[in-house]
Amino acid sequence: MTGEMYIAEATDERIRERGEHGGVVTALLKFALESGMVDAVLAVKKRNGNRYDGVPSLITEPEEVLECAGVLHCAPVNVARCVKEYLDGAKGVRLAVVCKPCDARAMIELAKREQINLANVIMIGVNCTGTLAPSVARKMLVEEFGVDPEDVVREDIDDGKLIITLGDGSTREKDLKELEERGYGRRENCRRCEVSVPRMADLACGKWGVPEGRRATFVEVCSERGGELLKKAAEAGVIRVEAPSKEAIDERERKEREALERSKEWQERYFGELKEMSSEERRRYWFDYFDRCIKCFGCRDACPICYCKECYLEAWRGFIRGGEVPPERAFPLIRLAHVADSCVNCGQCQDACPAEIPLSRLYQAVNKELQRVFKYVPGMSVEERPPLTVITEEELRNDDPLLFLR
Amino acid sequence: MRVEYVPTICPYCATGCGIYLVVKDGRIAGVEPWKEHPVNEGKNCPKGRSAHEFLYGKERLEKPLIREGDEFREASWDEALELIAERLKGAEPGEVGFLSSCKLTNEDLYVMQKFARCVVKTNNIDTPSRFCHSTTVPALISTVGTGVMETSTTSLEEADCFIIAGSNIKENYPLIARRIMRARERGAKVIVIDPRRTITARDLADIHLQINPATDVALINGMMKVILEEGLEDREFIERRTVGFEELRKYLSKLDMGEIERITDVSRELIREAAVTYARAERGCILYNAGICQHVEGIGNIRALADLAMLTGNFGKPGTGVNPLRGHINGEGSGDMGVVNVFYPGFVRVGEDAARKFGELWGVEGLPTEPGLTYMDMTEKCRILYIQGTNPMVSAPNTNDVRKKLEEKELVVVQDIFMTETARLADVVLPAAAWGEKTGTVTEVDRRVQLMRKAVEPPGEAKPDWKIVCELAAKMGMGEKFNFRSAEEVFEEIRRVVPAYAGISYKRLEKAGGIQWPCPSEDHPGTDTMFADGKFRTPDGLGHFFVVEYKGPAEPVDEEYPFALLTGRVMFHYHTGTMTRRTPRLDAEMPSAWVEINVEDAKALGINDGEVVAVKSRRGEIRVPARVTGNIKRGVVFIPWHFSETPANALTGPIAEPPSRMPEFKYSAVKIEKVEVR
Repeated sequence: MTGEMYIAEATDERIRERGEHGGVVTALLKFALESGMVDAVLAVKKRNGNRYDGVPSLITEPEEVLECAGVLHCAPVNVARCVKEYLDGAKGVRLAVVCKPCDARAMIELAKREQINLANVIMIGVNCTGTLAPSVARKMLVEEFGVDPEDVVREDIDDGKLIITLGDGSTREKDLKELEERGYGRRENCRRCEVSVPRMADLACGKWGVPEGRRATFVEVCSERGGELLKKAAEAGVIRVEAPSKEAIDERERKEREALERSKEWQERYFGELKEMSSEERRRYWFDYFDRCIKCFGCRDACPICYCKECYLEAWRGFIRGGEVPPERAFPLIRLAHVADSCVNCGQCQDACPAEIPLSRLYQAVNKELQRVFKYVPGMSVEERPPLTVITEEELRNDDPLLFLR
Repeated sequence: MRVEYVPTICPYCATGCGIYLVVKDGRIAGVEPWKEHPVNEGKNCPKGRSAHEFLYGKERLEKPLIREGDEFREASWDEALELIAERLKGAEPGEVGFLSSCKLTNEDLYVMQKFARCVVKTNNIDTPSRFCHSTTVPALISTVGTGVMETSTTSLEEADCFIIAGSNIKENYPLIARRIMRARERGAKVIVIDPRRTITARDLADIHLQINPATDVALINGMMKVILEEGLEDREFIERRTVGFEELRKYLSKLDMGEIERITDVSRELIREAAVTYARAERGCILYNAGICQHVEGIGNIRALADLAMLTGNFGKPGTGVNPLRGHINGEGSGDMGVVNVFYPGFVRVGEDAARKFGELWGVEGLPTEPGLTYMDMTEKCRILYIQGTNPMVSAPNTNDVRKKLEEKELVVVQDIFMTETARLADVVLPAAAWGEKTGTVTEVDRRVQLMRKAVEPPGEAKPDWKIVCELAAKMGMGEKFNFRSAEEVFEEIRRVVPAYAGISYKRLEKAGGIQWPCPSEDHPGTDTMFADGKFRTPDGLGHFFVVEYKGPAEPVDEEYPFALLTGRVMFHYHTGTMTRRTPRLDAEMPSAWVEINVEDAKALGINDGEVVAVKSRRGEIRVPARVTGNIKRGVVFIPWHFSETPANALTGPIAEPPSRMPEFKYSAVKIEKVEVR
């Protein structure tokens, strides 16, 4: 079953209208809830209809699921943290969760640490080529697109373009890379992100591969459980599925490949600059950033991988001297040591940082080096243990222990 | 399981950062970033990150308490309010004083002052804003017509030069400092005026003017003298938009730079560099706070800063102006609501006209026409004190004396969320609902009115402040003037009586970032920048230059008390510590006070880093460990005032004459002694 692909759409007219690509995700969530497969749905809802202010919403009423229909590019919500921190890691509740790839990957890393019980979670993955910080998006819409942000009813990222649709149905598009050169566009981590199709989730849903002009969703089944949900939903008649054509599959692969190429370009930009530095320059670069730190713990609190109940960095633990700003440099370095092997580049740490430290740049840079050594990509499979837990003698023999700081 | 994300505003400083509270089964389980909020864009400081923890701290008040001897006993609301009402009925208006708090909502504050004026018929009402910006209001009203932040925090990045005067902005307003940091990345220059080499001076300053304390006027006069000598003044601006320049020019021309160097201990070269940097900026932005305000000569300090900004034409554009920072979340709102002895709501000056106007608006006769007493004068003179959410036992100067005064009162009512140091001395204690447990609006540093939402129920029998006061009014037979059923109904009345708020409604405040006043009508977007129309708010529409002479502190150092003590705040705590010291993460960062002293001074006294020393003034003594550092001038010491067990305010004392009645927290003469080890 895993690996099967479909073009799907909701049968309920209302849901099809509200959903962006045929309402499949909405229909599946509603069905999961109605059929008793899950106790609740976790999805992102616009607060007061505001597409720049998405909030995680725990939904138990099937009708309410419809309020979460549609795609929000300007609401980078920390879904994995919500499940871990506020929903008891789904240990006592069966959930269907809508996930971007980084959300799904973070949940898998948390599952490896027994912080989330994935047996109770159906991850409905949605393709993602990046999100925008709401404040940046609002400014960009005014200054670059010349539109009132409140007039926007839809955003889309396709073939390197950011396309917005206004209330009157008209669209405007701009080259994403050019916007990003000017400080607009996607969050920094998203530009470098390599995972646009969430195959680590139970289902991977997206528009790529859907024939031009048709409102439907391309669904790839990524687990038994995902397949079961899709099958039951189809049997119950809430969605219609059909096999995609070879062209559709090829088209989807092409889009995915091109997204990856674009992210590699950004990686080259950000990491290339770092690699060209001498080790002294690189140390200076990071330590200058670290010295801005005001010890708010925003990065740690936002990090879906951090989960110690008694964090080593808290003043009462006695290791980092309390009351000092900036804190001792062990502070950022210890956090790096604790999570870099498992960082999924969700960018939540950087979003939260009042000192504007490009934390995701640091974490992903180190993580990429660790991937090279350990052949381990975080958040892809619950079966793969974090590298330090299963380190081999061969890996220990690595002659480059300082990795990126060499 | 029920989980809900409730957007609200951080309860601490007046930056007004947005946060999400996550409410899980009726309890606040955490704080999450509110990324859309324009002020902080999802980022917070250590206090904001832990904003909810104090709600579940020790000693929350849950029931009314009445003193019996040395103990308190629980009482019903009915009994407690009856008792207060009876005593108030028997008192003359002048015998009653109301000390309110800038941590309260506009609705709470509005109702409190309405009660004082309509029921007790007194203008004896004030807040701790007396200790923050009682110098700002008269200084800026006389120079530019209104005592508010003129730019907005979100526009600060448009400035290309900042003067940060007397504010450790990186510790005390980290999310405003972020804007300056970003402006600086794009080339803006930053000048910091502070006797301490604070983290602000270390991280943000291109030029640090490490002056002798209380010599700001001399420094600013020196800077203006340089600007005139270099011909960098904005002649067109001065000509068209100001009066009084000629007198200032004459005065400055007579000043001697050598004398200014001697007074300030800053070299004329550095003064010149700072002056030229500011004067050459396209948009120069002055941000100032307690280091400027908390002086007996604070009004002069601020007038001098206003002179400097007018001299260079730095008004009316985003990222310019002479901008006071507010310490409390609702410092601005407390003034707007008229919780001041000399102003009715909307800054209508107390007098016959104001009494008539508000008499008509409220339908009440006999409103008070004479200015009331200020904070410290009420503490001194009133027989009955009604203290709402404020903690003079830690925040007021000369706390040993404050204790005596409170103990002598006929009746002290304290309405608060915790059993504070002040509440312990009360006769009646009323439990109030805290932030997060009630809905209401606050007005941030840049006139930004924002909605704070109720997320959870208050504990026990605690109630919102406005509601308690309405119930007390009913006990005193004035219920029909206070028949508000919700905070929103109070706000609707505020809109009717305060013109700057007329266009603001709860519905409009749903938007992240709220609305900045003046907002005269519902279709008005609010005001990012003051004076953008080219007019100041003075009666003649012009900016008024003042000649300000350097005078020095009220209690200069001498042989017996050779150190100038400055008090102030730190990143991890807030004011009297009522909230932050009940926040485990914050209190663990800094559980106790210390005295910062220069390395050379410490050496001369034989004091080692970490050694407990006695700090003594003419009024009191505390013992705290020394922090020996090169980051403070010789002859100056600094103590954070958040800690009631070692209260820095046991040492402070001198207070300005009217109108400010500002305590000189930024200069008290003290001595430092080694403590004998037995």
